[in-house]
Amino acid sequence: MQYQNDPYSILGLSKDASVEEVKIAYRRIARRLHPDVNPNNPGAAAQFQEITRSYEILMNAEQKRAYDVNANAKNSNKLFKFSLRVTPSKRAITALQEQQVVYLLAEILPDPLFRQGQQVRQSKINLALVLDKSNSMNGTRLDRVKVATHQIIDQLSEGDIFSVITFNDRAEVIINAGPVDNKPALKAKISMMTASGGTEIYKGLSAGIEQVRRYLGPKLVNHVILLTDGHTFGDQVQCTDLAREAAKQGISISALGLGQEWNDEFLDELASITGGSSAYINSANAVVKFLNDHVRNLSNAFSERMRLSIAPDPDVKLESVFRLSPNPQPLSTNEGNIQLGSLQTNRLISVLMQFQMPVKMSLGFRSIARLVVSGDIFANQPQYFQALSDISLEITERPIQEDPPSSILDALGKLTLYRMQERAQAALASGDVKEATQRLEHLATRLLALGQGELANQARAEARHAAHTNNLSDKGKKNLKYQTRLLLAQSNMDGNE
Amino acid sequence: MIQCPYCGGRNREGIVFCEECGQVLGLHTQSVLPTRQIDPSITESLSAKATWGTARFGQDASIILHIRDVTDPIVLRPSEQLTLGRSDINSTQKPDLDLTPYGALDKGVSRLHAAIHRTEDTLTVVDLGSSNGTHLNGQRLTPDQPRILRDGDELRLGKLVAHIYFK
Repeated sequence: MQYQNDPYSILGLSKDASVEEVKIAYRRIARRLHPDVNPNNPGAAAQFQEITRSYEILMNAEQKRAYDVNANAKNSNKLFKFSLRVTPSKRAITALQEQQVVYLLAEILPDPLFRQGQQVRQSKINLALVLDKSNSMNGTRLDRVKVATHQIIDQLSEGDIFSVITFNDRAEVIINAGPVDNKPALKAKISMMTASGGTEIYKGLSAGIEQVRRYLGPKLVNHVILLTDGHTFGDQVQCTDLAREAAKQGISISALGLGQEWNDEFLDELASITGGSSAYINSANAVVKFLNDHVRNLSNAFSERMRLSIAPDPDVKLESVFRLSPNPQPLSTNEGNIQLGSLQTNRLISVLMQFQMPVKMSLGFRSIARLVVSGDIFANQPQYFQALSDISLEITERPIQEDPPSSILDALGKLTLYRMQERAQAALASGDVKEATQRLEHLATRLLALGQGELANQARAEARHAAHTNNLSDKGKKNLKYQTRLLLAQSNMDGNE
Repeated sequence: MIQCPYCGGRNREGIVFCEECGQVLGLHTQSVLPTRQIDPSITESLSAKATWGTARFGQDASIILHIRDVTDPIVLRPSEQLTLGRSDINSTQKPDLDLTPYGALDKGVSRLHAAIHRTEDTLTVVDLGSSNGTHLNGQRLTPDQPRILRDGDELRLGKLVAHIYFK
């Protein structure tokens, strides 16, 4: 297999670097990202293999020549790129005798040439709908799901692959994965759905992933949509293991919770692991529009299987990662490669990271982290592409009067609201009702200031509810969580396009 | 460490929004002036005596609002709803009656502090979840729970005291 990444840029070298320069560059970066100095740094572990591989290529005359020849050939046919733009919350930080926080906003943008050039849809979708048909779905919910599925079938075009799995205590494949050729026949199968039984997500999910696997392909957006209205019991670990396997194969999962009685932590996790999104649909009537919009966005991809690897320097700590756009979603800090799903042609991916800087820092420029984004661009052959960025900041003796850029300020202001409800829930979980109600009151004040009167009322109502019952209502808990998350999506849409 | 000026919470250097209360911390070009938190023990001493004027507010009536230490009264003809608060360039919502000229910021008035609603022939006042609370004749109002306003009532928004008369 051809070596895909550019060993020069990975080591930060120009094409005419000497052997000595290669050695120096390798040693410098090894000091930062070697696993031995980074015991709890999955990003560095993931990136270091690439770094070593690049070093080996450049130190071996034959391999180096082979790479150079191939790279020249590649340059002559025009390939599309995506770019990585990173904005720090401060360009310079003051050396302090205490820990401090720095934010990085990473934005991944599709190639502008692509949008100017061809308007032809490049990506096809390989979609499995995994639908809950447990007893609680009976009535309006199931009816609306059927309508939504019919509309999705209408939306699909030639080359798309589609399957439908329904599940309660067991799973049933009601439409086998395949091209969508006879739409009326497919719709008829959907209309036959009836509700009964309990909710066992693992069975449905594994059947759905199995259907997607049959057509797994580089030219396809491989995606599973799980729609449920209930708790699954005892099979959650199995589900997340399954999701991890799926993510490795480039399958993303979006998890939609309908009504109040589903496990939000669990669905969030499924989505975060695979680069999909999770959402709360509070009424059956919203299902149709939600699913249609979701599927429409899938079929507008520039590149797929986007992954972000974050390797902070040994003395820097990554504290949190949050995807702001396209679908706001908290992400895990424990993955070497964080799945981001697909990059759409008309919307950027943006991710906000929070780092803690160490106490003692020497003055001058220093690196804080290396970010690597990789993914498969549909229009390219070969598809694989990678962009990397080494982030450096200046450490100064005196504080520099500078505010964070407005893009970060805006995102942080709203992310803070999400964190506040999160911390209120954490306080409740640890039994501190007083703290929880106070946090909710603060949240209400902030929401009101942002013109979110209705949500502010809910926060206040939940504060009272918590004071009386030591808990949040199921509905209020989900509303606060997903609505504060949604505020981030709104700010993002204003920001671009 | 940065101590939040609004709730006293302690945040690490570099944190932009207080992790406790969500208020923005120490921007250099600070654009939004948040409501100051006032120690409740200070405001308790400002409490007033109860009065019992008429609750009837006729069709052609207007409100005379006397703000303490301000010589000229404000005359208001409330429509269905009248919000009281403090204007702020960057806030999305503006109050109908802006109390900024009467020292609203120093006195801990929120941007949207309270509202007066007009029903058929009475007025009600409701606290909009303000930071320092709304007091009617010395009693703190529960946010979102309207109370009837009477002629001669004392209304206190944070530390800003006003008397309301009907005409």
